[in-house]
Order: sequence, then C-alpha cells, then structure tokens
Amino acid sequence: MQHSNQQRCEDPSMSDYGIRMETLFKECNQACGTKSLLPCGSNDGIKIPNQENCQMGDTSQTGKLQDWDPSIMLENLSFLEDKIHQIRGLLHLIANKKGQQLGQPDEIITQEKQLITANLTSIIVQLISTAGSLLPSVKLAASNTSPSVGQHGQIPGITFPSGLGPSSSSIQPQHDIRDKISDQSNQIDLTNMCEMEQNHMEEHELKDEEDGDEGENLPPGSFEILQLEKEEILAPHTHFCTICGKGFKRDANLRMHMRGHGDEYKTPEALAKPNKESESEPKLIKRYSCPYPGCKRNKDHKKFQPLKTILCVKNHYKRTHCDKSYICSRCHTKKFSVMADLKTHEKHCGKDKWLCSCGTTFSRKDKLFGHIALFQGHTPAIPLDESKAPVGQADMEITENNNNNNNNKGGSINLSFGSNASSCENGIQNMMNVKGITDDPISYLSSLNFETCNFGEFNDFPRPPFEDTTKGSFPFLMSESFNYSPKCGGESCPNNLL
Amino acid sequence: MFSESVLRLLTEDLLVRVLEKLGSDADRKSWRLVCKEFLRIESLTRRKVRILRIEFLLGLLQTYCNIETLDLSVCPRIDDGAVSVMLSHGSLNWTKGLRRLVLCRATGLGYRGLGQLIRACPLLEAVDVSHCWVFGDREAAALSYATRLKELKMDKCLGVTDVGLASIAVGCSNLKSLSLKWCFEISNLGIDLLCKKCLDLEILDISYLKLTSESLKSIASLSKLEMLVMVGCSFVDDVGLRFLEKGCPHLKAIDVSRCDFVSSSALTSLVSGRSSLLQIDARYCFLELSFPLVECLKNLQNLTVIRIDAVQVSDLALQIIGTSCKSLLEIGLSKCIGVTNMGIMQLVSGCESCPHLICLMLESCDMVTEKSFYDLGSRCLLLEELDLTECSGINDRALKYLSRCSGLLTLKLGLCTNISDVGLAYIGCNFPKLAEIDLYRCVCIGDDGLAALASGCKELIKLNVSYCNRITDRGMEYISYLGELSELEMRGLVNITGMGISKVAVNCRRLADLDLKHCEKIGDPGCWAIAFYAHNLRQINLSYCAVSDVVLYLLMGKLKRLQEVKLVNVSEATVRGLELGLRASCGRIKKVKLQTSLSLLLSSEILDMLHLRGCKIRWD
Repeated sequence: MQHSNQQRCEDPSMSDYGIRMETLFKECNQACGTKSLLPCGSNDGIKIPNQENCQMGDTSQTGKLQDWDPSIMLENLSFLEDKIHQIRGLLHLIANKKGQQLGQPDEIITQEKQLITANLTSIIVQLISTAGSLLPSVKLAASNTSPSVGQHGQIPGITFPSGLGPSSSSIQPQHDIRDKISDQSNQIDLTNMCEMEQNHMEEHELKDEEDGDEGENLPPGSFEILQLEKEEILAPHTHFCTICGKGFKRDANLRMHMRGHGDEYKTPEALAKPNKESESEPKLIKRYSCPYPGCKRNKDHKKFQPLKTILCVKNHYKRTHCDKSYICSRCHTKKFSVMADLKTHEKHCGKDKWLCSCGTTFSRKDKLFGHIALFQGHTPAIPLDESKAPVGQADMEITENNNNNNNNKGGSINLSFGSNASSCENGIQNMMNVKGITDDPISYLSSLNFETCNFGEFNDFPRPPFEDTTKGSFPFLMSESFNYSPKCGGESCPNNLL
Repeated sequence: MFSESVLRLLTEDLLVRVLEKLGSDADRKSWRLVCKEFLRIESLTRRKVRILRIEFLLGLLQTYCNIETLDLSVCPRIDDGAVSVMLSHGSLNWTKGLRRLVLCRATGLGYRGLGQLIRACPLLEAVDVSHCWVFGDREAAALSYATRLKELKMDKCLGVTDVGLASIAVGCSNLKSLSLKWCFEISNLGIDLLCKKCLDLEILDISYLKLTSESLKSIASLSKLEMLVMVGCSFVDDVGLRFLEKGCPHLKAIDVSRCDFVSSSALTSLVSGRSSLLQIDARYCFLELSFPLVECLKNLQNLTVIRIDAVQVSDLALQIIGTSCKSLLEIGLSKCIGVTNMGIMQLVSGCESCPHLICLMLESCDMVTEKSFYDLGSRCLLLEELDLTECSGINDRALKYLSRCSGLLTLKLGLCTNISDVGLAYIGCNFPKLAEIDLYRCVCIGDDGLAALASGCKELIKLNVSYCNRITDRGMEYISYLGELSELEMRGLVNITGMGISKVAVNCRRLADLDLKHCEKIGDPGCWAIAFYAHNLRQINLSYCAVSDVVLYLLMGKLKRLQEVKLVNVSEATVRGLELGLRASCGRIKKVKLQTSLSLLLSSEILDMLHLRGCKIRWD
C-alpha cells in the first residue's frame, strides 16, 4: 500500500493536497536522510531510536521512485489538462462578465485574479512534481519551493491575502492533532513527523481507491484482531519440531519431518491437516494488525484497515517496514523485501526492452507504441545492446544513495551496470563491506569514494546520440540525472565523513 | 578572338536561358566543352549530379555547388569514412540547397555516416535508401533527423522494424511519400503509428509486408492518401478493403496485386464509388475479371492505368474497357487467359478508344497474332512500350504493322521464336528512338539482324540477345556500334570469342552491365579486354566462363566501378584466385554470387571482411 502515494487525480483539490503533502514529506525525508545517514549507514546493528523510523522513510521513498509509473504520469498530465481547461473557462467567464457590467467592485476583481493565480500556481506545482518524479534533480529543487504555492493552490476560489505566508504554518497544527490522537507519540521528532506525513497522505489517497480487501468494510466489532510481534513475523520458521527443534516454514513439512521421529507420527491422523473440524463451527472472523506503530494497518490507527491473513501480515510488514535486501540478479537495480516479489520481477526483468526516448520502458511493444502515439516528440529509443539490463530505474536510484547504506549499495551496483558479471560481484562485495564491517572506517570511506569517483566519470560521459560502445546503455537519456548526482554526492559525503 | 566577341553578346542570363533548353546529357557535355565560361555557367545551373566514381566526388561537389539532387547510388565505396571526408573537405555549399539524396544500394554506409550526411543537409526533402539491405533501426533513426523530409524510399531495408519506422514517423511528420516495400520486419503496430503521426501521407507502399487488415484500418484514416501500393500483402483480406472503402477520400491509385485473399467483389465495391480513380493494379489476384468489376470500370473515365495480369478476360470485357476508359495510357494484360485478336482489336479500335495508349503489356498472350497488330499499329501511334514476351503468334509481319509507332522506346520480344532478321530490319528502320529491346531466345535472328538494329536504333541502351545462338563475333561488332549501350545481356552465345567481346568492351564506353554467363569461348583474352577497356562496368556475370586467376584478379582490381559480380563455376579459376579477386575489389563490391561449395573453401576472414563492407554474398 505504501506505493500508492503517487496521487490519483480524480479530484483536483484532493490532488493539490496530495502534492503539498508529498513535497513536505520529501522535505522531511531529505532532512532526516542527511541527518541519519551516518548512524544508519555505518552501524546497522546498533539500535538507535530514530533509526527504524528514518529507515522506513527512506525505503518508502525508494519504493516510490522505483515504482515510478507511466500511467500515473499520464493521470497527472490529464489532470493538468483539466486544470488548464478550468482556467480557460474561468477566464472566458470573467471576460464575458467584464463585457456585460463594467462597474465591478475592486475586491471581486482581485478575488478573481487571485483565483486564477491560485489555479496557475497549482498547475505549476503539479507540473514540477510530475517532472520531479522523472528527474530527481528537479524534484529536490521543487520540494524547496512548492509547499507555499501548493498551499496556495489548495484552496481555489477563496481569497488569500497574498498566499505567501510561512510555508508550513497551516500544516503544523495538523501534525499536532495527529500526534495527540495516535498513542505512539512517544517520539515526536522530525522523522516521526515525516512518517506521519506519509501516513496522512496515504490515507488521503486511499479514499477514492478501491483496493481488494480494502473494500471489505467489516463492521468494527465483527472480527477478532490479532497482532503478531515483529520477531514472530520475521522469523524464518514458524513450525518447530518438538523433538529436535528443527524449524519449518510449513506445517505440512513439519509433519513430514516428524515421521522420522517414530512410527506414532506415521499414522493418518498424525499426518492429517490439523484444525479441520474447527472450521465447521461458526467462529469470529480473524483479522490481523501490523505491529508497526503509526502504520495504517496498525489497529491503533485512526483509519485502521486490517490484514486478512498471516501471509498478508508477513508480506505487508516486509514490504513496508523492512529493508529490501533481495536484489534482482539481472538488472541489479530492483530490490525487494519479499522473495516472491523478486521472483515475479525476475521473470519479466530484462524483457522491458521497449524503450521510449523519454526513458520510459515497456515490456510490450504495443504499449510503447501507444505511448509514442500519445505524446508529441517521443520516439522509440533503439537498444544498443540486447544483453544490456534495463536501466530505467538506475538514474533514479543513484540520487538516493546519500540516504542509507542499502541505497548506497544499490548505487554502487548501478554505477557499474552494463559492464559484466565481475563488476556486479564487486558491487555485492561492496555491499558486504558496508554491511558487515561497517565499523571499519576505511571500508566505509572506500565505498563512498568509489561512488563519487564514478559519478565524475559519468559526468564526463560523452553523449553522442548513438553510442555503440558497451558503456551505459543510454547515456544520453540519463545524462541529466548524472549531472545532478555528483552534486548530491558531494553534499552528503563531506557531511558524513567529517 | 572570335569566340570572345560572340560571348560578349551573350550575357550570363542569356547563356543560362540557352542552357535550359538543352535536354540530353550529350548536349550538355558538348556545352561544357565549348569554353570555360560555358563550363562555369553549366556548373552553376546544374541541379543534379550523379556520381559514378568516388575519385571525382570531392571535386564534383565543389564544382557543382548549387545542386538539388545528389545521386550516389552507383558510386562505389560510399561509406561512413567517405561521408566524413565529403563533409570535411572544401566548402559545404553543396549541402545548403540539397533537397534530394539518392543512396540506393549504398550498403557500405552506416548510421553514423548517414546521420552526418542527413544533418549536414538542412533542406533535404527526399531520400532514397532502397536496397540498402544492411539498414536497420539505427539507420532509420538517422534518417529521422531530416525533419523536412517529404519523400522516403526504403525498399528492402531488411533490418528496419517498427521501432525504426516509429522514429521516422515521429521525426519526419511531413512525409508525403513513403515506400516500405520488402521491409519485412514492419508490422501492424508500426503502420498504425505511422498513420497517426504522418497525416500528410499521399503515397504509401507497403508491398510484401506481413500486415493484416488491421493496418488498412489505420491507413484508411489517412485523409490525403492518393496512392496505396500493397503488392503481395497476403494476409490482407476483404475486411481490410472495406476499411479502405470508407476512408481515404482522395485515393487515386490502388495496387492489390498478389493479395491472395482479396476478392474481386471487395475491389469492386472499393472502386465503384470513386470516379477520380486513376490507376488500378490487380495482377495475379483473381482468376477472372468478374462482370461487376467490368461494369464499375465503365464509370472510371479518368482511369489511366489498369493492370490485370493473369486473369481470365473476355472480348466483351476488353471492349468495355476500351470504349469506356478513354484516358487509358497503360494496359497490362500479361499472362491473361482469353486475350484474342478480337479482344485486342476491340480494345483499341472502338470509336476513338485508347488514343493515348502508351504502354501495352501482352506477355504470354499467345492467341494474339499479326491480325490485331494491324489495328494496334494504326491506332495507337503514341505507343512507347510494348511487351510481347512469349507471344508466339508474333512474327515479322506483326512488327511491320507496328511501323507507325515511331515513338517506341521499349520492345520486348523474348521467346518470340518467329522473329527473324527481317523483323529486326523493320525495327531498325522504324523505331529510331528505341532504347530497350529484348530478344531473349529469338533463335532465328543472326548477325544481319543485329546489323540492321545497330544501324537504325542508335539510342539503344539495353539489349538482350541471350541464347540467340546464331550470333557470331561479326554480330558483336555491330553491337559495338551502339555508343549508348549500357546493359548487354548475352548469355549462352557459344560462338562469341574474345575478339567479339573485345570490340564491345572497347567501343561501348557506357557499358555498365554485362552478362556473359555460359559464353564459354570468351576466355582470358575477352576478359582481359573487359578489364582494360570497360571502365564503366558496374555489374558483370562471368558464371560458367573460362577465366584464369590472373585475369580474374586483373578484372576485379582494375574495374573501379564494379559492384556486382557473379562468379558461379568459373572454370580455370582456383579458390586462391577468387580470394585474390575478392580482396582486390573489397570495399567496392556490393554483391557477389558464388557457388555454394566455395562457402567452406574461402577463408572466413575474407567472407567477414566482405560482409563488414556491406557486401552480400549469394550462394548458388
């Protein structure tokens, strides 16, 4: 569900709100990212109260960028169209009015003016945020400027003095209220706030989104809520042999195992699936809660939405609140926290060979052609080498590796993409260094160096329109993001090292 | 002194005006040779340059700086390196006004060179890259830099897929004419995108593509489309034609030849409502010309071209066509069953029918005899092209009846075994403008016929005398009088020796295409002469000839324009000799035909090298 923070734009005012929240969230994230990089990155094992939260923020951002989706982009664009349409209508209306009655009071005129500027600014914000999802460099820049205008655009039709008040003044109280409501407000700091923002936003988006189990709508008292602890969820095995203590993922496997412990376990009754008879009795429906405080799936959340099964809990918890430690062995960019997700991805990875000049990849040719037919000036990019992994996400990820070590590792691998297997090993080696021997300052330093120097290389990248060599697949597509990258690397690195 | 005084009267303006009146290349050549001033005027006003040899490329481009058309199709060694030299030497004035670029068969060119060239010419409107079989999507993307492109021909660019087409469709949205013949990789998707992006398309050729009726649905949305050629689209059926019926309001020409699943009734309903239709091609499509189709042809008074090869026609149908389609310029009835003398007579002799007929194709209509040629020869006086291949009813008398068609340019008499030297004498006397004659297996003709032909048809460019066994070295001598001769096919002339071919090689300076297959007596002396004298030779077939290693090497090395060689079963030549020959011509040569057994004997290095330089090897 965390991926849903790309806004759905059916309702314009709604999405305005979304943008505002999103940008704020980013701002917070950025702050927390730079602040917590050192503890997060270097000593993974050490528990720092903030760490979990901040990591969560980071991963959520990663997820968002990774899951950048052209269809959402499309929605954004269509929203923009609508908005422009609205303004046009408004202007027509005003123009007509002016023709009819000249003696209008000044304040109405100023109101109208503000109305239009409000609408225009909201378009600008939307545009920036849309572009931002493409270009990380723009994104950060936008996040610095957009909150005020976003807020302005949020309330169309209402006259605002000047619309340039302190950017977060109207939002701040909301935080406070939310913190009071939620009883996990023991850590009220920046990271928490940012996490709050995310939840807040999610909830808004979900309003008009009908998602499978979302639409279940069980009355509050009609089900029993179970909450597993974090350790329980993450435990590799849930079924243990009472004799030898060996753990199993599945009960059936345990029962098979038990047969080795003696003949009494070989009877049909012992081998049968337990608890069969209990199903016939009418019993209270079980629903599950996520143990993560503040999560929408947590029972204490104001708009709690329960999870249906234990498997749902596991997957939800891993996806939303855990590191993404499974990396696709083909593209070395996509990361997953659930093995099944990785497997699903790997099935299709590398098949995203249909590439548009805008950098969007498609797994199907007809989708690419539909995309090209729709947009003026987009052309299919010609793959230079069939064996090359799709690197559509690579440019987005690189910008994030100032956030945590996970991304760090991702970044280093990204930078060596398209070369060969040895470099990928190298990347993994690097990750190991960072993860395992994090106390060793040299290894940490070296990994960063590796990163920065590589950025330099990419910066000097020649970009002829058709590069035959086996360097980056699409240097001309990614050049902008690369140009941006060293700046971010340069900013964060000294902070960390000093 | 005298010339100076004359020149003083003729200002530059006047000279330009005079020059404009000169049509033929020979006249222009004479003009150039008058004096430097004339040469200067000619080079300033010249709009078109066709480069034959790369040696002169740079100089010619500097001289002719106002050209609009640059034709590199027959120039060897056009590759990326050549392009970068072209663009880096001297002034680039010639690129400024260039509108048309012919790169047909420039197989050595890659996307880099192509891109450079295209980008250097800002006004480029037409590009022809047909038969560049190595071209793929990258080359297509390079083509897409030409944003003003209106006309693009990319027949047989085998590597171009939908992706390449999409780049072109997006980059060159002003395209008016596009030919995608034999670009086998292109599918419905690409065509659909093309029709969405290039709304100005007027001419579209999608022949032999694996398209279905779905594509025609997209094509039907092209409101400006005037001509659609879809030869051999065997997946297109009547459903597709029905889409077309509803769209394309300005359609003027349709070609559904060899579309196996298109029925006569679908074509009828497509054609019926369109009185503005100018051209219908339905060759090898139907079994017979159905009555409804004939009926609806009645309404097509503007029709200029109809080709309905290989259908069964009746005299009545031909009569209806003859009497109602009064603007017909070309009629194609090749291999039609049921074409009789009566039918032809009714086609051409109804009241004032077909007065403008220029081209008549009657291949394999063996029921046609001299009887109908009397009418044809007396009515269709504007006839320029006549195909009578395998019309066994044609004899010398029929050729006599044609004598009034003095404007005849092309005459095909292949397999007309009844034609003798007398017939050739008629031809020599009556068709002074004749440019092409095909006498394939006219076994009755001999040296005397060639003498008559050579004395009368001085303009002959293309001559086929294959398997006319009676021709001897004397006949070759007559042929050598044909100064304009550029293509000579003389397969299986077993009586010809090195002497005969030497005369042709020495005298026919324009000879570009020579087929000597099975001319077994030619041997080394003949080939030696070819190597030393036939400098303009672009294509040669030496299969089954007796040529030794040394002469082969000389031939391949010395002929600087040679680009296509067929060397199947060249006796007396060893593998080493062949390799040497191929090495000597590598870079220039674009197509080689060799016997399959050599594929293992030739070193892989030379094969790779040939392939890299854009040379296609055909194994026989």
